[in-house]
Amino acid sequence: MAHVVIPVGPQHPALKEPVNFRVVADGEKIVRLEIDLSYNHRGIEKAAESRDFIRVLPLLERVCGICSHSHATCFAKGIEELMQLEIPQRAQYIRTIVAELERMHSHLLWLGVAAHEIGFNTLFMWTWRDRETVQDILEEISGNRVNYNMNEIGGVRCDISPEQAGSILKRLPLLEERIGEYVKMAKSQRTMLMRFCGVGKLSRAEILRYGAVGPTARASGVDYDARRDDPYLIYNTIPWNVVTDEDGDVFGRTKVRIGELRESLGMVRYCLENLPGGPIRVQAPKTAPSGGEILSRYEAPRGELVHFIRTNGTDKVERLDIRTPTLANWTSVAAALVDQNLADIPVIVAAIDPCLSCTSRLVVADRKSGKTGNISWNELRNGVCRIRPGSNRI
Amino acid sequence: MTDPLFPLLYILVFPGFLFLLAYALILEYIDRWITARMQNRVGPPWFQPFADLIKMLSKEVIDPAGIDRRLFDAAPLVALAAVMTAFIYVPVIGSSPFAFEGDIVLVLYLLSIPTIILFLLGWLSRNVYAAMGGIRTVTQLFIYEVPFFLALLTPALMAGSWSISSIVAWQQQHLWCAILQPIGFIVALIGLQAKLERPPFDIPEAETEIVAGPWTELTGRRLAIMHLAVDVSLVVGSGLVAAMFLGGPAFPWSVEPGWLAGLSGLIVFLVKTFCVLFLLSAIKVATGRIRIDQLNDIGWKYIATAALVQVALVLAIQSARVIP
Amino acid sequence: MNKKLTLEEVTGKLGRFGTVEQARFNRIRVSMEPDTIRDAIIAAQGDLACERLLAISTADNTETLELIYHLIGPHRTVISLATRLPSHLPKIRTISDILPPAGIYERQIHDLFGITFDGHPGLNRLMLNEDWPEGEYPLRKDWKPEPGRFYGGIREDRS
Repeated sequence: MAHVVIPVGPQHPALKEPVNFRVVADGEKIVRLEIDLSYNHRGIEKAAESRDFIRVLPLLERVCGICSHSHATCFAKGIEELMQLEIPQRAQYIRTIVAELERMHSHLLWLGVAAHEIGFNTLFMWTWRDRETVQDILEEISGNRVNYNMNEIGGVRCDISPEQAGSILKRLPLLEERIGEYVKMAKSQRTMLMRFCGVGKLSRAEILRYGAVGPTARASGVDYDARRDDPYLIYNTIPWNVVTDEDGDVFGRTKVRIGELRESLGMVRYCLENLPGGPIRVQAPKTAPSGGEILSRYEAPRGELVHFIRTNGTDKVERLDIRTPTLANWTSVAAALVDQNLADIPVIVAAIDPCLSCTSRLVVADRKSGKTGNISWNELRNGVCRIRPGSNRI
Repeated sequence: MTDPLFPLLYILVFPGFLFLLAYALILEYIDRWITARMQNRVGPPWFQPFADLIKMLSKEVIDPAGIDRRLFDAAPLVALAAVMTAFIYVPVIGSSPFAFEGDIVLVLYLLSIPTIILFLLGWLSRNVYAAMGGIRTVTQLFIYEVPFFLALLTPALMAGSWSISSIVAWQQQHLWCAILQPIGFIVALIGLQAKLERPPFDIPEAETEIVAGPWTELTGRRLAIMHLAVDVSLVVGSGLVAAMFLGGPAFPWSVEPGWLAGLSGLIVFLVKTFCVLFLLSAIKVATGRIRIDQLNDIGWKYIATAALVQVALVLAIQSARVIP
Repeated sequence: MNKKLTLEEVTGKLGRFGTVEQARFNRIRVSMEPDTIRDAIIAAQGDLACERLLAISTADNTETLELIYHLIGPHRTVISLATRLPSHLPKIRTISDILPPAGIYERQIHDLFGITFDGHPGLNRLMLNEDWPEGEYPLRKDWKPEPGRFYGGIREDRS
């Protein structure tokens, strides 16, 4: 049979964001995959060069709606290191709490999406309901369900009062019970096992070769986790484990994510119970030293996020280079898809939890709300950003 | 029965087309509501299926480039007509007045028409998703049709009749076929689920893979009518399973006068179709979608074997004359 | 987990390619000429067990474009191999054959900075839309959108 080219996207029910795969298939078997990410470019890296640090943080939160805290924290910790700032312990704890809550809501979202990709909508509805609990907690802490804007250079924006901590701790047992439910479900639900086991399998060697990161890598026994390897915040002082699995297929990735849900819950509980006193921020200098260069690594829910930051002695960055986990994972997806069934595309692609908004970093505001008075940003908008409205994966 | 108006009323009003259409939409609503409640959602208001139908009927019909318009218009109508005809032979308030020896074969045949139509629509759409969906539709048809037919044959074999109404009558004297032939009942339910393309057998219209399969290019009234045809199939299918395995609309005691007998028959019919629908909805909620190759494996290895075993058992019982 | 690589170890293995410096407690930076970068990566893979490519960072220093390959291995030390290319003719050998994930990073860099990677199997558009004008590299410092120019999307003057 001749090869058929099946376009998946940029508009397709399996995709929550615009991306285009050209799937070359032979009958129901996939031969090759070509990716075009060009539907969501917002020029954030360029915009970041023209804004001071205070205004870059909210911008970076908009790189992605789901891992907004990751990008902001990754940037903030890099800049703080360049400024040689000592961040108060309490601020570090609060950042960790928000980071782990974010991981929980991202993983719950993923679990729902993965279930939806195989048509198992019940689990989708259930996980998204439980995700609401996490988002309520985040709203209680920060005032926002997504884009929490918790970070400032030098600390965090708002504190967690003892009452808040108490009310959050009261909600955790319910979540824990629900997570237990999902563990049971993932291990016993027949159709889920049929669709997840042995699908999109990547061996340890392949993962290393294709440079996959995050839960995708850990599901194949590659125990890279920036939280342990390059400790930041307080990860080297609190109890937690890197979750790995040996299966290497979509099922393995599910198990890793559910395991991480538990670990994150434990971390949030530990941090809330042991929240140290003290200030939540320090005064940060206006400018960063000239010629500074840092590679800031952060374990986002989807994998290792890398910000490469250059400073030039002003209050703006010279260069901000963002390497998102999804971009690192694409190569492995393209490899995992070869020789699989056409029907497995959605679930294999979903298994890396792709975030295209992160990956291509494009349209921020809709062009009518020209709120920023920044001239170069306007120029950018006029020139570039009218192209396509971007989705903000929420 | 001699009144010439009676057949006309039976076909057109009750329990024919008018009742059928209303009941199909109500059943769709109940299906959606059960699903929603099981998934922890609120679910639609009761008139949602009616509103959907009216809305879709009033929407613009979009012709994909290069299709045969008349064929595209006619195909959904054929599907709807086929399943509505099939309903005439399904006992609702008592035996169908049109029953004849062999109507089960006709009903099964008519029930297959929407599937064939879906394949045709997919093939005609000149759209890669629709074409793939169409191919998957027929592939699936070949997998579930054999066990489904075999499963529905077993009550006929046992009752020694090819008429649905006589099979119902036979069950009234003996036992429900669901009790006598549990394997056949389960196979029939699975087959019906596959026929209606509901999870886990919604492979041809797998939303996240091929958009809507053969439905992709259907718009406006074509979509409305095709949708209605599937809803009617749900009624016919569950009515058929209820008749073949659950004793149909027969009331355990004889009821006088005639209108009361008809009413009690209708209530029994409604209750039994709800039960079948509930089972189908439960399957739908509890499963994800399997792949076509997995369905192929399961269908031929297990479901078809189970159906054959059931037929063999029935034949053995028949020859041993356990049940007179 | 193995222990971190020290500056001496890295100097011993990669010192012949360029200057080695400790950039951070877990990051060692080696600056070198563009034509040696490929050998350096192969050496890092072989002698220093760097099994993964973390990222390829790019920066525009106006006259030169800087490329930094960040590698990591079980020792969890980031080896940053940095090189500079002239802005007017940025060209370098691809490393996508020895490190497959580099393929997609190189496409991104080609899109945004206009660096050509020789030998890359398909240096197609990745980030920018397909109707983006040729020869415009938005992340370069000297890039400014031209008001009259069409950068893709829907033309406003369409009536």
